[in-house]
Amino acid sequence: MAYKLLEGIRILDLTTVYAGPMGTRILADLGAEVIKIESPSRPDLFTRMTAYPDNEPPEKENWNAGGYFHLLNAGKKGISLDISKDKGKEIFKRLVKISDIVMENFSPRVMDNLGLGYQELRKVKPDIIMVSMSGLGHYGPLRDYYMYMTGMEGMSGLTYITGHPDKPPLLSNYAYGDWMLGVTGAAAALTALYYRKKTGKGQYVDVAGREAIIIHIGDVIMDYTLNGRVRERAGNFHPEMAPHECYRCKGEDSWINIAVENDEQWKALCKLMGKEELKDDPRFAKAEDRVKNREELNKIIEEWTKNYDNIELMEMLQKEGIPAGAVLSMKQVHLNPHLIQRGYFEVIDHGKAVGKRPVGKQMPAKFLGVESFVPKRAPLFAQDNEYVFCELLGMSKDELKKLEEEKVIGTVPRFPPPRPTRLDLIEKQVGKGAGYVDPNYLEELRKVFGEDIGKK
Amino acid sequence: MAEKALEGIKVLDLARNIAGSYCGKLFADFGAEVIKVEPPEGNPLRKMCPFKGDEKDPEKSGTFFYLNTNKKSITLDITKKEGADVLKKLVEKADVIIEDFEPGKMKEFGLSYEELKNVNPKIIMTSITWFGQDGPYRDYKANNFVAYGLGGAMYVMRPTKWPDIRPAVLGGYQAEYTAGLIAYIATLSAIISPKVEGTWIDLSVMESVTSTLTGIMADYSYLGLSRRTLPWAIHGFPTQENYPCKDGYVNLTPGIGGTQVIADLIEKPEERENPLLVKAGARVKEPEKFEQLILPWLKEHKKWEITEKAQKLKLAFAPILSPGELLEDPQLKERKFFAKVDHPKMGEVTYPGAPAKLSESPWKEGRAPLLGEHTKEVLSEAGYSEDQINDLKEKGII
Repeated sequence: MAYKLLEGIRILDLTTVYAGPMGTRILADLGAEVIKIESPSRPDLFTRMTAYPDNEPPEKENWNAGGYFHLLNAGKKGISLDISKDKGKEIFKRLVKISDIVMENFSPRVMDNLGLGYQELRKVKPDIIMVSMSGLGHYGPLRDYYMYMTGMEGMSGLTYITGHPDKPPLLSNYAYGDWMLGVTGAAAALTALYYRKKTGKGQYVDVAGREAIIIHIGDVIMDYTLNGRVRERAGNFHPEMAPHECYRCKGEDSWINIAVENDEQWKALCKLMGKEELKDDPRFAKAEDRVKNREELNKIIEEWTKNYDNIELMEMLQKEGIPAGAVLSMKQVHLNPHLIQRGYFEVIDHGKAVGKRPVGKQMPAKFLGVESFVPKRAPLFAQDNEYVFCELLGMSKDELKKLEEEKVIGTVPRFPPPRPTRLDLIEKQVGKGAGYVDPNYLEELRKVFGEDIGKK
Repeated sequence: MAEKALEGIKVLDLARNIAGSYCGKLFADFGAEVIKVEPPEGNPLRKMCPFKGDEKDPEKSGTFFYLNTNKKSITLDITKKEGADVLKKLVEKADVIIEDFEPGKMKEFGLSYEELKNVNPKIIMTSITWFGQDGPYRDYKANNFVAYGLGGAMYVMRPTKWPDIRPAVLGGYQAEYTAGLIAYIATLSAIISPKVEGTWIDLSVMESVTSTLTGIMADYSYLGLSRRTLPWAIHGFPTQENYPCKDGYVNLTPGIGGTQVIADLIEKPEERENPLLVKAGARVKEPEKFEQLILPWLKEHKKWEITEKAQKLKLAFAPILSPGELLEDPQLKERKFFAKVDHPKMGEVTYPGAPAKLSESPWKEGRAPLLGEHTKEVLSEAGYSEDQINDLKEKGII
């Protein structure tokens, strides 16, 4: 029988922008009831106004049409509540009383300044679990630094070791640091939840984004702590594997990763390339020789790869047991037969302004016999006010109305004029194009996900 | 001493790669009893660099150490029937089994989920593979590099200024660590769920990478855009990029200070109204002019100096720190982030500590086990007599 794993777990989600919402989204995927709380005067702006369908902000309720918001908040419930007002605080505390976990990613000062720090919340509900996610952590001399994903990654060592040696150190470019902070927050929340289940005790959890990133390069850090060696950025170099490179393929901006793990795979590659003489070439005989002479090696291989389509070449290489993978663009990810066949995407109907769109899973694991993904759209602004305030807290419709008049809640957020993405600039950026825009993207998606994709 | 968060949970960790071992490490560091089941010749991670003193000793691999802290180690050849039987015996008392063999391998060993479920209906089996238990890529060969590219994360790994160059993989083994963290969440939620009797978790490393893209997935499904770098740095390229300074690099993310105050930072208040500082569009159009304005000052100042001054102006600038510099970082020191433990073969070992600070049930430090250090202890606990253990040893099973 299908059931949701975290059914019955209620999470108050004060997070905004990127990191926090990714953490609560993974818990929503697992079936927890995540109630996203936004202030009518300070809604979750950035993602709500990024990536409008077909890049056209709808005339009505454009705050409900941002694609980033939909992907980061799928499966959550949404209410409006201004917790900077006294009445808002009081209601928030009533919600805490009937919840299991509070998750927030404000700057470290904010919750205490609001009078809603952990010590206050535990007075209301002694076994509450509160998870604070910040850039550098909730105590320490640098806790008040202004931090975004860029700073967290930059200060973690990850950026230092990423990128080509002749270019500056490289950030992740897809907010991976934010993912690590949010998802580590989710992992910590569940750890605390298990502990509460056992002991009945709640607790406070302090997650620092920078620290969450550092623990993902433990092996690199240990090269320093064990041997005093500072790993430098080295492109796609691997100390023990060669070839280990991203090679150019046929077609514009098309690439394949090939990573040979042993001599047997190397010999198979030589054969496939029709260059059997390389097998006995002393420059490439053993892994350490290949690592040493990788520049020559890479040139030879790229001369070969550039004649093939990257998907076709991946299939050829895999057939011979050689680890190889096309470097998929965002378009290729959406049309990838493996992801599609595995059911990685869910088609979600976002309502009249947006229509149906494929949404990838935030919790990609499949659980035998368990409904692990909640195929629901991200909440419209304040859509669950009635459910939460009337049904859960027992307020009357009149009270709700009064709260709205007092601007404690609201159905219309204070929202700046909509801002379409400057696709023209992206295509021209730095004269080389920071990305490609596929004008037929809806048709492409329809071939895979059904004729009604994008229909409003 | 406070009770550890996951005390009481028993995990069998068969993982040969980073993802599964990292998942097991998170369990162990939060207090679960995790038994690393190694083949008699040792887990493959023991052959991975860095080695203490660059000595290729299986007891001196930093990678193995880091990924196996607080675990017990037993040797067991599960590819042999007798070894598989011992594992089944251990499964009787376990809550979780983590494995990362190629799809179908566990079945070959007689250790499929169905078979383990017969032994212990409550067992949660977490299977981590590169591509999952089904689908067209199921039997593809991969490693961190290959899975990262296929997951869709690598295509955008190019500097904003050079969007057409060869993509560069994110440092370390991020595809694998990502999958390990997701595996931990998946497994723990199955343990917590009151409804789960037992389950088989099928996690793919490729899909784990794709799931880190979240928001930017909408680039294509809403706009038709496939980016190949970070195209519209929120505050207007080239801010948010990493720029050289006197002693390394700094990241120039403006934040709530607004780009205008960069004029104060570089001691040129007369530039406050310069369109390059005020208008994102002007910067995007002529990034080299912005560089000319700010680079000379950056090159005369050090990264921490720049950062401290910028932060006072509410600019979110940050230094790009090397792995070594982290050990000297005042914030990490104050938070006692790095753990230090003794290891019988490696001596004193310093390594990155807790992923999160839990006030009631903190993370714990500890070392990695020696190969087979706990074989006897674990097997006796499982009811094997000394004779039986010796017999298994003679046959090369343990």
